[in-house]
Formats: sequence, structure tokens, C-alpha cells
Amino acid sequence: MRTEGDIVSESVEDRSILAEGLVRSFGDLRAVDGVDLAIESGRIFGFLGPNGSGKSTTVKTLTTILAPTSGVARVAGFDVTKEQSEVRSRIGVALQEVGLDDLMTARELLTLQARLFGVDSIKARRAAEHLLETVGLGRVETKKRVGAYSGGMRRRLDLALALVNGPQILFLDEPTTGLDPVSRKDIWNEVRRLNREEGMTIFLTTQYLEEADQLADEVAIIDRGKIVAQGTPRELKKEIGEEVVTLTFASARAAGRAADALRSMAPEQRVAGNEVICYFTSAADKLPGIVRALDEAGIALEALKLMEPSLDDVFLRATGQRLEVQEEQE
Amino acid sequence: MTDVVLLVIRSLRNSLRTPAALIPNVAISIFFLFVFNYGLASVADLPGFKGSYLAFIIPVSIVSASVGGAGSAGQALVRDIESGYFTKLLLTPSPRLALIWGPMIAGAILLVGQVVLILALGLAIGLDSATGAAGLLVVLMYAFLWGMAFAGYAVFVALKTKNGAAAEAATFAFFPLIFLSTTFVPKEYIAATWLKWAATVNPTTYIYDAMRSLLIDGWRATPLLIGLGVVLAFGTLTGLLALRQARRSTQLG
Repeated sequence: MRTEGDIVSESVEDRSILAEGLVRSFGDLRAVDGVDLAIESGRIFGFLGPNGSGKSTTVKTLTTILAPTSGVARVAGFDVTKEQSEVRSRIGVALQEVGLDDLMTARELLTLQARLFGVDSIKARRAAEHLLETVGLGRVETKKRVGAYSGGMRRRLDLALALVNGPQILFLDEPTTGLDPVSRKDIWNEVRRLNREEGMTIFLTTQYLEEADQLADEVAIIDRGKIVAQGTPRELKKEIGEEVVTLTFASARAAGRAADALRSMAPEQRVAGNEVICYFTSAADKLPGIVRALDEAGIALEALKLMEPSLDDVFLRATGQRLEVQEEQE
Repeated sequence: MTDVVLLVIRSLRNSLRTPAALIPNVAISIFFLFVFNYGLASVADLPGFKGSYLAFIIPVSIVSASVGGAGSAGQALVRDIESGYFTKLLLTPSPRLALIWGPMIAGAILLVGQVVLILALGLAIGLDSATGAAGLLVVLMYAFLWGMAFAGYAVFVALKTKNGAAAEAATFAFFPLIFLSTTFVPKEYIAATWLKWAATVNPTTYIYDAMRSLLIDGWRATPLLIGLGVVLAFGTLTGLLALRQARRSTQLG
């Protein structure tokens, strides 16, 4: 008889992160509810979802910070429950909440972290200098304590700490949340470099669709603890159609009426607020009919957009809500 | 072992970078030393009282220092938990024991530093140790072990509450222990039966006895061994509580 563990072990050689039926509960709440993952080595994996969807809890479970309630997960070939030390030695983690000691200097923090990974004192100091240069903090005054760093500097130092052991797999939990566009682009470039030059597998959670679209080879969308869509960005977009027509109305009520009026003409559709989003293989020949149908139903159309599908459309289709709205609200 | 040393050095360095957090505890211990020594010195005139009152009261100053000193270990841990740095440490392959021993040992070392200062002040105002310098070193050892034991309790509370104010309050809840004992007079002079009983079951009494025997009587095995047994038992209990809580906190989130 095969157990869950056996199933995972069979395919461990060609997968760097695997999870089967991963569950993490807090009391009655299942924050992670049966997540399955199979991420190949050397990929950038984008884990997309709104706040509270279970992204960070999944990361904490995969990185041994939280024990899973049930299910199996192997990271770098090791079981996250039974072989925690082996997992920790091979991963780097930068969580959403930057974890630094404000009383220490950047060099002290990096050197200590390296030493706790078993690196000798001289190599640890050398690694600290190298990493500070890598993340653009090499010129910061040596004696400056971390408490005096700006938000962007703290985020970069946190990333350096995650790299101190030369990890095979890097977990980045919303690495660019709260950063200005320039710092965000810097992080993206560094993520690409680490993946390309160091061959690191990167597990990146984000609520920014553009970030996932720009960086990820493969994307999974998580909502209320469950994965609701998974694939390459291209595959996911293709699944919902070649073209997307977004119709904007004066009110949500008008949008609801319009959705009913267009149901036969556009069976693949979603309503989000005062918008109706329709998915077509080819939309151009449908547009005159749409406008006519709305006119006949007496519904005033405020705007019409014809676009290629985005990851937000994928998200909307999978979850029934837009992620972009939340991004704008931040 | 290396990890423990690294984490002790880090904790000590951080403590020295925040002297404002150390000064009140040192000041309270010195305050106790002077106020009790000069205010209650006539206790030494009671018939049958052995040695100087200074030698009798110095252990009170040391034990009061241990409560505050141990609290610093808990405070340091809460600060790490609140800042997220403790999670960063949890992500290293370091044993969980090393992560809690670091602040505990650092707290005990800081306590020894305070005790050296208290003893130096005591010597300056006339302390005459019956066991000489060697006896003072043994007093330091008791202070270190007592500090470790209290630090275990402080770390347990810190991990349990993950809250700075709660950890501080729980540490100072131990303060009355200092006074429900043979704090100001030997047990035979305590009139109230309930206080005598409290002094008998209070582990602090046996730490006082061990230190006072060194400072007043000379080398006597019985109080030293009982004191050692009590401090080791108390330390083992608080250490196990801290370790169990560390495992719970880090595994169950």
C-alpha cells in the first residue's frame, strides 16, 4: 500500500518543492487547505493571492517555521516535518515582515547569520561584505545600526540575510510590498539574476499581478487556502480566451442587467462591480452585436475596452473578484 | 556550543548598547545594600547574631539583582520576537536550545557583573569575607546559577506571552519571594509563624544561607550543598519549562 510519503518520494529527484494535501489550521480556520505543489528546480514560481488567502502560511509551512497540520511537503528533497535542519540549510527566506535586530549593524547581522549556518569567522565576514555589495548596501557607514535604516534598506538587508547560506531555494514573501517603483525594479532584477546566474529556485508570493507576470515561469493562484488555478502565465491567460472585452456601466445594478442581456452572446463572463468582463476567442466580430443588445435593453454603456487577457482576468475568473482593486487601495 | 557562544556575545553586546536598561537594576541593588545596611545595622546587636550585618544583607542585594538581571533575558527575547528577528534565527539550523540559552547565559553573565560591583562596594565599606577571595568567587557562582534559573523563568514567560509588558510583570511577580524569607533577620528571630513557614519553603532562603555561610561562618558543607541543590533544582525546572515552551512556540506557531 502506498502512503502519501511514498508518492512524494518517487518524484523527489526532479522537483525542488513538493507538497501534497498540505493543510495548516489555526483552531477552526484552515489557512492552508489541501495545497498541492510540484515546482521543478530552477524555476521562478509566483504564488498569487489577496491578503489572508494563505500565501504566507504556505511559505511558513514550507520553510519549517510552522508545522503542517496534515499533508506532506518536501523542500530540496527533504521532509519539512522530519528533516527540518536539512531543509533550513538549503533554503533562504525573506518573509513579508522584515526580521532584523535594530541594535546591530548590517555586517554584524550578516556575519552572525552566516556563522549560525556553520560558516567560519573569516568566510562569514567575507560573505557579509560580498552580500552588502550585492544588495547595494556596501557603501553604508560600517557602524550604522540597522535601526537607522530606511524601509528600502531594511528590505534589501533582509534579502541579503536570506542569501547568506547560498541557498538552493529562495522563498520571498511579498518582497516588494510597500517599496517604491525603483526599489521594486531593483528587487526584480536581483531575483532574475539569482535565478539565472545562481540557478536558484525561487518561490515568490505576491499580490502584484505585474510582478508575477514579469518574473514567474509558473503561477499558482490561492484563494481562501485553496489553489484555484495553476500554470504558466501564458497558459492561464490562454485558458480564458484570446481576447477580453470589459464593459463599464454607471452602476453595479446596470452591470448586472447588462450581464443578463448579454448572456447568450457572451456565455463566458464575470461581473465585478460596475463592470462586465466577457471572454472570447475572437472579439472583434462580437462588438457590434454587444452594443446593439445593450441599446435594445436600454442600458447605457460608459466605456468599452478590448484587450488581451491579463493575470487579473485569470484571477477574476478563478475567484470571482479582482486582485487589482486591492493593489490600488494600498 | 559555538552557536550558544555566538548568541551570548550578541546578547551581551546588545545589552551594553542599551545601558539605560541596565542602570535601574544596578541602582536598586545598590540602594538595597546601603539602605538596609545603614538602616537596619542594629539588628546585628541582637543577642546570638553572628557576623556583621553587612555580610548578612549583601546576599539580599545580590538576589534582588538576579530578578532584574534575569528579566533582561526575557525582555531581549520578547524584543527579538516582536521585531521578527527570532524567526530569522529559527530559520538557521541552530538547535532551539541554543536560541534560548544565548539570552539566558548573557543575562546570568550580566548579573555576575552586577554582583562583582556589589561585592566591590561591600568590600569598600567594610565587608570581611570569612572564606576570603575564594568564598567570594563561590558567591559569584551561586549568583550565576540563580541568575540562570530566573532567566529560565523569564524566557518561559517571554515565549508564552510574546509580550514585553507581560514578561516584565511576570518577572517582578517574583520580587516578593525575596522578602518572604530570612531577608532582614535570621529565621530564629522571625516571630510570625506564617512568615517562618514561608521562609522554610522559599528556595531563596537556601541561597541566602549558602552565601551567608561563606561570608560569615567559613566553609560549611551543609548550607552550601543544600543551596546548590535548591538552585540546580529550580534551574532545571525553569530551564525545562523554557525549553518546552520554545518547542511549542516554534513548532505550533
